[in-house]
Amino acid sequence: MPDQALRQRAPLEALARPGRFGATSAAAGVMLSEIRDRGLASVAARKNQRAALLAAAKSAFGCGLPTRPRRAFGRDGLSFVWAGPDQWVAMLDHGPVGGIEPRLAASLKGLASVVDQSDGRAVVRIGGARARAALAKGMPIDLHERAFTPGDAALTFFSHINVHIWQVDETPTYEIAVPRSFVGSFWHWLTEASAEFGYEATGSNSSA
Amino acid sequence: MLLIPCPYCGPRPEIEFRYAGQAHVARAADPSALSDAEWAQFLYLRDNPRGRHAERWRHTNGCGRFFNCIRDTLTDKIAATYRIGETPPDLAAGAEARR
Ligand SMILES: [Zn+2]
Repeated sequence: MPDQALRQRAPLEALARPGRFGATSAAAGVMLSEIRDRGLASVAARKNQRAALLAAAKSAFGCGLPTRPRRAFGRDGLSFVWAGPDQWVAMLDHGPVGGIEPRLAASLKGLASVVDQSDGRAVVRIGGARARAALAKGMPIDLHERAFTPGDAALTFFSHINVHIWQVDETPTYEIAVPRSFVGSFWHWLTEASAEFGYEATGSNSSA
Repeated sequence: MLLIPCPYCGPRPEIEFRYAGQAHVARAADPSALSDAEWAQFLYLRDNPRGRHAERWRHTNGCGRFFNCIRDTLTDKIAATYRIGETPPDLAAGAEARR
């Protein structure tokens, strides 16, 4: 048998060329990168376990699970983004990717269904002075600073691709989780939308 | 474009939603006991008011949830949205749209 070792590859590894692209007349207006060292898991409350789940999460992770479209930060690099009523996406900075599910499942046994999504979604970070203008070309929601602030999250779509977005800081910087099989189309759209502002792509970004 | 207040996500543009027919159409507990006319009434016949209409919408490209909405078919103005299972709000006194 041929010796073919399977190698884990980040969703955008072959697509996100690092470098400066688009308009070059001024400083890059948009910074793009892929977050590759973050574990993801979906968390869904079991029937009639909502209150118990919220209490268990608070004591185990040091933060309440958000009950409206927000992101909450717990201990040790864990955070939770609202993903619909009684559903969340849990994230663990600096992996190990795949290490998040057992960590959550142990504390939430019987209260929530926890499924690893680390390989199912790509997480793209988009920041810079013109990030908002670039996203506005493909996204129907209002990202104006009075309507959407750091910590806010939304389930919406970008160029017909369902995405999950949350704001990181006031730069503004956003992170967008995209189903892995759509991330090629998403990246194409995003880089085209960013080109007129000049964008800087770095292949990978640490999650913190 | 309509701005539709999803009871879970807040106000969102109409293109994130799908219309899902008249709301509060109850399925009979024992359909086989119905006459053909009654069954046809359940399956096919819907109100068509000029004015406020209770209807179901689904936030397809958002949280994915179905919810109910009271929309004026003449003006497209949305008087209220509310979760499945909740009773329709009393709008007689000109109650305002809630989020
Ligand atoms: Zn919604």
